[in-house]
Amino acid sequence: MRVLSTVKFTLLRMLRNFIVLLLLLIVPIVLISLFSLILSGAVTDTGEPYLKQPAVSLVLCFQLFGGSTVMYMIHSELFTEHRARMQMLPISLTMYAFSIMLCGVVYSVMLGVILMTFTQFVLGLIWEHWLWTIYLITLMAILSSVVYLVFMFAVKVYKTAERLSEVYGIGFILLAGLFFPMPDHAFFRFMGSYGNPLTLSTIAIHEMSMNNTSKAWFAANILLAATIILFLVMMVVGRRRFMRDRV
Amino acid sequence: MTIASMRGVVKRYGSYVALDSIDLDIHAGEIIGLLGPNGAGKTTLIGTLTGMRPFDHGTVELFGQSKHPFSHENKEKIGLVTQEITIFEELTAKENLQFFAGVYGLKGEVRKQKVREVLEFVGLSDQANKLPTKFSGGMKRRLNIACALTHSPSFLIMDEPTVGIDPQSRNYILEGVKRLRDRGTTILYTTHYIEEIEAIASRVIIMDQGQIIKEGTPADLIQTIQHEEKVSFEVTDPERIPEGSLEKIAGVRRVLTAGNDITVISDAGSGNLDRMLSIIKEHTGVLGIQTERPNLEDVFFTLTGRQLRDKGEEQ
Ligand SMILES: Nc1ncnc2c1ncn2[C@@H]1O[C@H](COP(=O)(O)OP(=O)(O)OP(=O)(O)O)[C@@H](O)[C@H]1O
Ligand SMILES: [Mg+2]
Repeated sequence: MRVLSTVKFTLLRMLRNFIVLLLLLIVPIVLISLFSLILSGAVTDTGEPYLKQPAVSLVLCFQLFGGSTVMYMIHSELFTEHRARMQMLPISLTMYAFSIMLCGVVYSVMLGVILMTFTQFVLGLIWEHWLWTIYLITLMAILSSVVYLVFMFAVKVYKTAERLSEVYGIGFILLAGLFFPMPDHAFFRFMGSYGNPLTLSTIAIHEMSMNNTSKAWFAANILLAATIILFLVMMVVGRRRFMRDRV
Repeated sequence: MTIASMRGVVKRYGSYVALDSIDLDIHAGEIIGLLGPNGAGKTTLIGTLTGMRPFDHGTVELFGQSKHPFSHENKEKIGLVTQEITIFEELTAKENLQFFAGVYGLKGEVRKQKVREVLEFVGLSDQANKLPTKFSGGMKRRLNIACALTHSPSFLIMDEPTVGIDPQSRNYILEGVKRLRDRGTTILYTTHYIEEIEAIASRVIIMDQGQIIKEGTPADLIQTIQHEEKVSFEVTDPERIPEGSLEKIAGVRRVLTAGNDITVISDAGSGNLDRMLSIIKEHTGVLGIQTERPNLEDVFFTLTGRQLRDKGEEQ
């Protein structure tokens, strides 16, 4: 597996993209610290810190944008002038693209875990189910790269794909009603609950912390199913795009 | 030994014929200079020869294999220097080379040694740990070349490796190409700079509009037009010379006007310089006259009636 030798360099390239680090790590750290300062240890009637809800949302929100690096790298290597050089290498480009995707997911999850660690050990917020939370972060990270890649493969102009991916991220945050409540309408009710990856993962984490295991699994499995379906879509449009560009 | 060959290769982009029945053989140890103006089809030819671009007709054979010419095994023997700079901007020069060496299966001490050797070869040893974003155009070009060398390819394809670089880097690259040849590397070198071809090529292939219009050693090609003479006049106002008046002179083959220069190509020994001069002087002022030894540029011009490069396109 020659592709394995590229993994180290793919990760290095991701780590050196300081803008991504700033947006996906520093910004949420600053935000959560601010929340923590404002809420200064207040707890709800059930004894749960007020900080818990925004912390969960923040960790998950930023996963919506995690696919941007993967989309950027796969585009630049397989769909720009770099393609000629990559095509001449004695490796499978499909495997190479998957390795980039995998690196991107690992990287994105790692940022999420750093954020959890920071909130727990610096701000003193206890995450009860670490593994479960990391599982949901991982699902969100995979979903994000899959969705971003579907956009990139499906539309011709890369800039358009970028705009679409921003709509995906910001759109689901709005639909989740995090900034202001959505209108009371069937569509918005659905997109604010089971039709929204952000809400699904939030529900899954919340229900698990309430020990409602089956409800938690139910939400997580919907997310998993959506990811698998979109993954298959991504394979189809990706292959088509790659062949079409092969002039 | 034949390294690569193409037979009757036709390649279309839509209805546009980019390669028009190409026949080509590349033998071990050659440096082939592939010469042609912008849009001649050089990059397309390289694309089809290496399996990157599908083609409509014909066959390609690499290292004696016609069934699966583009196998990974064959790819390992080929190095491609792309026309565009295709290095990783987020990786240092050294890491770029480690990436490519790794893909070809080089590991540990062997890889280290090879990376060091290649950096030395392109003169970037003291820049090894810098990011290419800090590099000049010439240094990026040199790194772009280096990336194709870590696996010691026996067949090196260079697609305009010297575009837009300083003369010093260019000489460095040309010297490097000669050293690679001395080590037995077969090289296909694409350019539209005649001087580079004259400096290094053992055989020249001239392409225009998707066709190979001439091939041979540089000396042979120049020989074919030795029966011609070339005179250039620098005049004050070329517009004022009536269209076709020079062409009518006995022995004149072609007339080319570029800026204030008029170049006339005639049969050798036509003895018509006097006539030309008197016609030109009748209409405009003459600032200078030059007779030149023919070069490959003239071969191209004689064959196509066009210049290889537009004047003023230098660098
Ligand atoms: N992907 C493509 N789709 C459509 N037409 C193309 C494509 N690539 C090249 N062409 C056309 O085919 C012709 C040959 O192009 P090619 O790039 O092979 O020329 P070239 O000799 O390499 O030129 P240059 O010196 O500018 O690099 C040109 O007219 C170009 O416009
Ligand atoms: Mg070209």
